[in-house]
Amino acid sequence: MTSIDRRLQEALDGERDPATLPAELREAYARLVGAAQLLSHTPPASVAERVMAEVRRLPAPASAALAFEDGVARRVARWFAQPRAVTLRLRPAWTLAIAAALAAVVFLPLAESVAPGAEEGVAQFVGHFPGARSVEVVGSFNDWRRGALPLSDEHHDGIWHGAVVLPAGQHEYMFVVDGERWVADPLAGRYVDDGFGRENALLIVRPAVGP
Amino acid sequence: MSDRSSDVEVVARVVGGDGEAFGIIIQRYEPGLLRFATRMLGSSDAAADAVAESLVRAYRHLAQCRNPARLRSWLYRITGNRCHSHLARRRTGEVPLEDVPPIADPADTWEVLERGEQVALVERALAALSPEKREAFVLKHVEGMSYEEMAAATGSRIPTLKMRVHRAREALLAALEERV
Amino acid sequence: MRPALGLALVLAASHASAVSAQSVRARLEDRVPAAALPAIDSLVTQAGSEGLPTEPLLQKALEGGVKGIAADRLVNGVRRGLTQLRDARAILVRAAPARAVTPGDVAAVSAALARGLSPALVERLLGAAPPPPPEPAGPVLHAAADLVARGFPPDSAADLLLTAQREGLRGVRLLDVAAAASHELQRGCAPGEALVRVREMLPNVPEVPPPRPRAVTRRPGPRS
Repeated sequence: MTSIDRRLQEALDGERDPATLPAELREAYARLVGAAQLLSHTPPASVAERVMAEVRRLPAPASAALAFEDGVARRVARWFAQPRAVTLRLRPAWTLAIAAALAAVVFLPLAESVAPGAEEGVAQFVGHFPGARSVEVVGSFNDWRRGALPLSDEHHDGIWHGAVVLPAGQHEYMFVVDGERWVADPLAGRYVDDGFGRENALLIVRPAVGP
Repeated sequence: MSDRSSDVEVVARVVGGDGEAFGIIIQRYEPGLLRFATRMLGSSDAAADAVAESLVRAYRHLAQCRNPARLRSWLYRITGNRCHSHLARRRTGEVPLEDVPPIADPADTWEVLERGEQVALVERALAALSPEKREAFVLKHVEGMSYEEMAAATGSRIPTLKMRVHRAREALLAALEERV
Repeated sequence: MRPALGLALVLAASHASAVSAQSVRARLEDRVPAAALPAIDSLVTQAGSEGLPTEPLLQKALEGGVKGIAADRLVNGVRRGLTQLRDARAILVRAAPARAVTPGDVAAVSAALARGLSPALVERLLGAAPPPPPEPAGPVLHAAADLVARGFPPDSAADLLLTAQREGLRGVRLLDVAAAASHELQRGCAPGEALVRVREMLPNVPEVPPPRPRAVTRRPGPRS
């Protein structure tokens, strides 16, 4: 794929008057604008009746104070209440509510599994990948090796999770879904350019507090 | 309340218990959301399902819309997420094209193609993009969003979105210029 | 009260001394395109000779390898990494000439720049560091990057964090300050109001507890 002239990109971004483009770029500009116009046809169908029928069956929207309901959000809350490590990747607007839940996660008794040492902490990873066959975490903490940190979805509900002890500090990572799709964790909240045209999620592991 | 009410006022009314007022939100945003979802999924039926699911979800969580003044971005975000879920379930991210006229004679230039053939060509080029680039191009050039709105609608950073839009333009232009 | 914890941004096995060519090849062989090895070798050696940490460059090479990046782009990525490390160290030296430059600080500044903070903002945050002993650069920089990513104006974000430091908050507590401001946004406050509310809370912003799940795997060592 050939890179197109910066002036053309600027004109398409509204940062340059297209009239100032040379002739060959004006033609390309018109072609792309024309293509976009062709795509602007609005489908005739409406879903209004269908949606309103459903809305009339439902109670009024719950209050803004982190009202969880059935569905993925409730399952996330259950994950935090149970003795397992889970972070949930949720793409809808619940992301903000879930991020707040993450911030308010309860202390759970640290029982039979590995305890972090000094200058170590626990990192939880969770992703919502319905239909995925495998999800793993690859990052700077495992030398970017595949196969070192698989997540599990034991309830087969598309929620993949895992937790590890890591040195306190900053770590970059990505999820790899089905062995081939690299995804920056949408719930990470922190991202950094990877220098290869993508973004890595950035994790800051806090030192664990003693029991 | 007439439908000249602001989004903030309509949202407050719905959250206050007037579910019928949600019809105003549907009326305002359904055409754009359907257009967006159709371009993402390549199917008007799939788009209708995705938008209907998204609007119901939006209703249920309307009280959590952090800033009703940015309702549009929030609705596009929910719909975009739903489209990505649909595409992820297809595994390949490929977009099936329905009701598309046959491809015209490759010797024809863009200008002599019938409009339907032009639409088909552009739709095929769009379908060949990754979901992220497709979404960025559609939000920018079909839905007419600013990069700031796109950032709110996708959760991606502006530099990332610009890169995706730029790459999408390159791919589309290359596909269109093959006709010449 | 939990003592203020410094966030030790220690890179795994990071060191500023020269890395032997043999050890570079041993780490990277079969993991990066063979065509890229000589150039990466050279860049890592260069970093070592300049007293810069080499681990970030090795990590970048490994990352590029596993992501399937072509040799030339991979080398460019590592080269860019070296430039970023140089820039990071220059900023550290300008901001606090009397402060020892640690590999952790170089990595933290490099990450902060990669997260979109301007060099000027980084210098401002590091230049106004609290009294000795010197704090790691990571927490205040990542807290600032968190705030900027949420849409807070950079200078206002810096003002809040520097105020927090003057109130005695250190290390991960600065990340709690950023989290508190984000929480105010989620509750519907405008950015300016959110910053005011958090400033009023100082130094008693809520602590964000670390996760403590039952089932945890200790990760294998990175070079197992």
